Amino acid sequence: MAAILFKGIAARSLTTRLTSSCYYGMKYSTKVSNDPDTHDDFKPANKLENSGTSLSNIIEQDVKDNPVMLYMKGVPDFPQCGFSSLAVKVLKQYDVPLSARNILEDPELKNAVKAFSHWPTFPQIFIKGEFVGGSDIILNMHQTGELKEKLKDIVSKQ
Amino acid sequence: MGVSKEQVESSLNSKLNPSHLEVIDISGGCGASFSVEIVSEQFEGKRLLERHRMVNAALEEEMKEIHALSVKKAVTPEQWKKQQESNQSNPAA
Repeated sequence: MAAILFKGIAARSLTTRLTSSCYYGMKYSTKVSNDPDTHDDFKPANKLENSGTSLSNIIEQDVKDNPVMLYMKGVPDFPQCGFSSLAVKVLKQYDVPLSARNILEDPELKNAVKAFSHWPTFPQIFIKGEFVGGSDIILNMHQTGELKEKLKDIVSKQ
Repeated sequence: MGVSKEQVESSLNSKLNPSHLEVIDISGGCGASFSVEIVSEQFEGKRLLERHRMVNAALEEEMKEIHALSVKKAVTPEQWKKQQESNQSNPAA
């Protein structure tokens, strides 16, 4: 029982710390413990899901509120896969604010984003509320000049 | 256990009928990550995002096991021909 209590408290503490982290003003961390030994009473709640808003609504709000929104592995300063890193490198060449969520922190968020965009892989990039694609497409758009055109009014608003 | 390069090729060949197809296992043979170049008349009139969606759809079953898919090229035969001619004109590029 003591071990269960300790794990629960430790997991809750971890979640508390993660909850305070954000990228460009993101309000939530989506970390959920996967420890099978944690008692249900002490398992940290999914902050997004328990906010009273469905994940799909949260994603919808994300892409609406943030002119450039990424769902990626890691965060822009610390990408955790080559494809996410490539997408960030491309976008950082433009003077636009990047907002992002780390889908590695929450399998439910990951699945919700896939369902929202009907796209199976990550990163996923939304610009002005429109799903644009992944790293290959964003690189292609950069090379053809299409990305500059698409981002120009965002840049001009800064 | 991952997906084989041959499985990916087979699905793309049967569903998109490409005139050119190159599939590379970029996960060192583990079958977890692939890079694809594909030329198909079915891409005519389609935007790039739609073309990528067509490739994803063609690999729907394989995507359940694939960790990453990189579609380097998804072009029509006409676009492919122009690219090849351009490369021949500028071999150093």
